[in-house]
Amino acid sequence: MSIYVPEPTSERGKGDAKRHRDKQKEVLKENLPKVIAEESIITGGSGKVRVPIRRLSIPDFRPGKNDGGSGGVGQGDGEAGEVLGRRPGTGKPGQAGEEPGEDYIDTEVDIAEILELVFEDLGLPQLEEKQVKELIVDLGWKIRGTARGGPWALLDARRTAQEGVKRFWFLLQALKDESGLPELICFSALKKAEGIFNEALVLLKDVAALPVEIEVVAFPIFHADDFRFHKIQSDTQYQSQAVLIAMMDVSGSMSTEKKYLARSMLFWLVQFLRKIYEKVIIRFIIHHTEAKVVEEDVFFKTGESGGTNCYSAYELAGSLIDTEYPVTQWNVYTWHFSDGEDFDTNRTVLELKKLFARKINMFGYGEIRVGEHWRLFPSISDSQLFTAFSRAFSVEKTEEEGVRVLTGSNDPLLGVVVTRKEHIFPAIKQFLKKDRWANHA
Amino acid sequence: MPKPLDIERLKIIEKRIYEIAQEWGLLTTDVQFEIVGAQKMLEGMAYMFPVNFSHWSFGRDYETHRTIYDHTGAGIPYETVWNFTPPVALLVETNPFALNTIIIGHVLGHVDFFLGSRILQIGRSFSDIADEAYYAAERFREYEVQHGKDEVEKIIDAGMAILWQQNPDIFMEEELDEEIARDRLLTMEREKARPAKDIVSQFGQNNNRDELLKKKLQYLAQRVPPEPVYDLLGYITRYSPVLKPHHRDILTVMRNQGRSLAPQRKTKLLNEGWATYWHVRFMRRLFEEGLLTAEEHGIFDDFHSGVTRENKVGFNWYSIGLALFEYIEEKYDKGRFGREYDMCEDPVKKAYWDTHAMKGKEKIFQVRSFYSDRMAIEEFFTDEFIHQMRLYIWESEVDAKTGETTYYIAERDPEVIRKILVRHHTLYGIEPIVIQNANHNRNGYLYLNHLSNGVELDQRRRDGVLVHIFTLWGKPVFLETNVDNKRVVCSFDGKKHEVKQK
Repeated sequence: MSIYVPEPTSERGKGDAKRHRDKQKEVLKENLPKVIAEESIITGGSGKVRVPIRRLSIPDFRPGKNDGGSGGVGQGDGEAGEVLGRRPGTGKPGQAGEEPGEDYIDTEVDIAEILELVFEDLGLPQLEEKQVKELIVDLGWKIRGTARGGPWALLDARRTAQEGVKRFWFLLQALKDESGLPELICFSALKKAEGIFNEALVLLKDVAALPVEIEVVAFPIFHADDFRFHKIQSDTQYQSQAVLIAMMDVSGSMSTEKKYLARSMLFWLVQFLRKIYEKVIIRFIIHHTEAKVVEEDVFFKTGESGGTNCYSAYELAGSLIDTEYPVTQWNVYTWHFSDGEDFDTNRTVLELKKLFARKINMFGYGEIRVGEHWRLFPSISDSQLFTAFSRAFSVEKTEEEGVRVLTGSNDPLLGVVVTRKEHIFPAIKQFLKKDRWANHA
Repeated sequence: MPKPLDIERLKIIEKRIYEIAQEWGLLTTDVQFEIVGAQKMLEGMAYMFPVNFSHWSFGRDYETHRTIYDHTGAGIPYETVWNFTPPVALLVETNPFALNTIIIGHVLGHVDFFLGSRILQIGRSFSDIADEAYYAAERFREYEVQHGKDEVEKIIDAGMAILWQQNPDIFMEEELDEEIARDRLLTMEREKARPAKDIVSQFGQNNNRDELLKKKLQYLAQRVPPEPVYDLLGYITRYSPVLKPHHRDILTVMRNQGRSLAPQRKTKLLNEGWATYWHVRFMRRLFEEGLLTAEEHGIFDDFHSGVTRENKVGFNWYSIGLALFEYIEEKYDKGRFGREYDMCEDPVKKAYWDTHAMKGKEKIFQVRSFYSDRMAIEEFFTDEFIHQMRLYIWESEVDAKTGETTYYIAERDPEVIRKILVRHHTLYGIEPIVIQNANHNRNGYLYLNHLSNGVELDQRRRDGVLVHIFTLWGKPVFLETNVDNKRVVCSFDGKKHEVKQK
């Protein structure tokens, strides 16, 4: 028997733990579409998010049920059939050790980290350079350099004095050269003449009458050329700021699920804008037949019945831009979330054209249709808005990772049709494509 | 800041526990208790051996333990003890004194089990396993440098997937030389056929039978492997056409580790129960003798109740194992065994049955020496014990729409619970999977057979394992098993998975 303290060893676990985390990150990257659509991300609000990542484990032969459920032995009271507990399908952290679904662990991930992975996935690594329209902000005036003329108020005394002293030494040398007399004598003459060269020359002709100074003490002599003035410039700064005007149809047809998809997309759009602009402001407009500017919580909570006039929202967005966010100072992004229903598409198209005329950066159209399969009936299932946009503008229709995409050829128009959670990621990727968010003006 | 560990006092306590253990008839040996920092303990828990090769799964477990430790800060109420000669155990310097005392007692319980259990003697036969792991760590590092981390990792991943696919009979050393096994089989078949041949020949109708025997022998002569093989890792390591020497080295080290740990997996319930049984008694005695303060006894109570807490959806080895030994002891102290007791149908009489047989201690030592978990469950998980422990079988269902998992009690019938537990402890939860044919389709494909009578495999994991086996075997892999009560053959050919009706 013995108890002893062995030599300490280096920490082996750390390196292998890092290897595991790296592998997890790869998995996270593969699962981005799912992670991005995770509800807890937009409700967390802490900059970190708990996402259920499959615990990396090595498979082995073991019993299992086909539905993903499992079983085992437990202890306690209760009749057969009694429910012991539930575990929500998404996001919610489980009780460690109590979970038989050990394959999933909730891992805390930074939203920033997820963003990085999104950008990596898009091959957009150097987003630090802000390749967007920078706007000039007037900060008043600032002094920048020196000029030979200007108002007296801006006289640069120091620089002027320096010039004067230079002039003194120059004149002293000239006197010496001209008269052939010693420096101290010349200085005495220059001083007596108060710096006027010709007078000093005259004085030197009668050296005997000249009061001789003890030492050369330089003093500034000013000619008109020697005055130096501060040069001023108007002070401006390049600043990048963006406004995202989010519009949403809150008429009866927009269900909670649809709103969730809209919210999730908006969340990521804002995250992205925040990354490229120093300042990002989001304004919310809801509409049914009429539009109004609302606060964020109202935006997502309102549900009203009635018809749908999309133009009302576009009109309001236009006036918001004119009054508060002029495109000369703001990068303007507008996004409209709708299920595609519209009572007056002609007028909507007209208002949209007006928005484009204002030179906004982008008009995004997120068509949210849940539980519909446009693929089955492509001809009949194009929504009113989708059809109207495709007809009114020169557009290219594509399909990317299951998401239908509408891209304006001449206008900064991007439309995406999102029908389920998994579409959020590809839809956002469309938005993130460089040529789309870069300045169109 | 926790108080620094009083090592001198711990030595006194340790000495006393040894004396008590010997007094109680426990087998003891010179256990090396290392006082270590939390980090080394957490690594010990994750890496299976004091020093082992590098792998992300160890890192993952290490980080999990570490996180729990950092967040609770309550000390590490686990013991790590290796069945080496001599046994090595870890004590964490920052643990409360009382906790380290429990651990010494608990470890001495394990050590008695190591020395006394017939099954664990197998584990001890791998006496150089710690050294092997130590040197393997160095060699594998060199392989990583030479062949790349990914390449080495791929082999380790694959090896881990089938690490526990071993012969269910741990006493049996599998015959890895095919030709010796084949000769033996052929001889046996010929011998079996001899008497029949003699009889049949009297009637002059031996042609047909001779033909059959010839065919059978021919089949045996060609069959690869001659007999089904349980030891998947061993067989593949030896016969795979694609593995390189360093792959074989890695897999051999892993197989040895798996085999040395297998006996512990077969006796986990008894081993943990036994150690818990004794640590409770050591602590009680130390307290009575005044070697532990009342406060320390309080700390012990807290940890003990934490470790033996009931789990709604888990099998607590410590509490159930402890209860099992106490149940057996009481049963045999009161003479509740034998024909007379079993035949008695009067429940009242049975409840008060006590012959003062006092055979309890003798019986539990017998169980420790000769039983595996499965044997103990078959014999002692009586209806009475299952009721007493309030055991049930739970199941979970995943709602396909919401993804919500619901856990519910599926079964309370002791008969069914016993059956499921026995099945779970016979092998590692599933019926064995054997290599039926290593030259399937005459193309060197690997054909595995799941000798299942109903238990189905988790499909996602099953397919994952097939991918790993493909990595090692290099040719298509087939697995005959059950899906939805039908016999199917699943396969993976390096690109896609297929499931076909048999």
